[in-house]
Amino acid sequence: MKEQIKSWLEQGTVDVFLGYREVDHHPIPWCFTQEAIEEVDDLVVSPARYSLEKIATHMAAEDPDIRIGMLARDCNNRALNVLYVWNQLRPEQVVTVEANCCPSPLKEHADCSYLEPGTVGAYKKAVGIDNHLRLEAVEAYGPEEGRNRWMYEFQKCIKCYGCRNICPVCFCRECSLDHDDLVGTGPLLPDIPIFHLVRAVHMAGRCIDCGLCEDACPMDIPLRLLYQKVNRIAMDLFDYRTGTSGDQPPFSILGDRVTLEPKPIQPVTGAEA
Amino acid sequence: MTIKRITFLQELLGLFGLQERVHLAWISSAEAQKFVEVVTAFTEKIKSLGPNPLPAYRDAPRAALAAAAH
Repeated sequence: MKEQIKSWLEQGTVDVFLGYREVDHHPIPWCFTQEAIEEVDDLVVSPARYSLEKIATHMAAEDPDIRIGMLARDCNNRALNVLYVWNQLRPEQVVTVEANCCPSPLKEHADCSYLEPGTVGAYKKAVGIDNHLRLEAVEAYGPEEGRNRWMYEFQKCIKCYGCRNICPVCFCRECSLDHDDLVGTGPLLPDIPIFHLVRAVHMAGRCIDCGLCEDACPMDIPLRLLYQKVNRIAMDLFDYRTGTSGDQPPFSILGDRVTLEPKPIQPVTGAEA
Repeated sequence: MTIKRITFLQELLGLFGLQERVHLAWISSAEAQKFVEVVTAFTEKIKSLGPNPLPAYRDAPRAALAAAAH
């Protein structure tokens, strides 16, 4: 792998290669270049992961013609698809090297920091939401209980913006979460649940379920479940499968312009057809 | 598209048990009677549901919430 990356850099197939370099025994996200090609010897593939495609997006914003090589797991590839869909990157400017990914029954060994679920305490299980539950189990809570549990989780939020900052598919120049008229940015504590729901709505058709937001969250809020929910709705209502391809239209249901194909309406409860 | 947007919102609010507080109906400008019926029915429904429960969470201390969840 290292030889291939070196030859790519030497031949100019890519201008930069994004991966991880071991520095003092810590794998940190690194941008390898032709000028410092010896650094490629320290390239590591480890459970550590970071939204490298986000760095790629920033680079492409500065220099639209840059060619980028990238170490990619499945989640990175899904994020790349979303970024292609939204014109943040072009498929022809990105080359990926596949890295080992999440475990499955067929593949026990895996390299991903999301592998080992942290233990969930009894208190959180009793009054909050266990991050490792399936979405169906969370949906099955009654209206009152569901509300209590979600609001318990949201109340912990310290508005660090970690979820947004790590998110590989958050690329907007102007973020609604920074907008005083929408969520109230000044005071320390966020407006709940608006802060989280605004982000959730924006994650519909974008979130590729990499779980980096939940990894980053210091308060252990089950963000993945929340975003799984909006993407489940996007799939049920619009037949939109996020991140599966770079050729689909962007998922946009807000504003006046709609880019989605009309699809037959499924029978729904609660709305008058 | 409107019905899908509203359904999206209802589904999302469903996590918090608030889906019944959003209602969508098509009423032509010639259907005054229907307008009255829909608005009256929805107003009564909202009245029977009571005030929005969410502000209480923002203001309540965490311990009180935890107790409520038990």
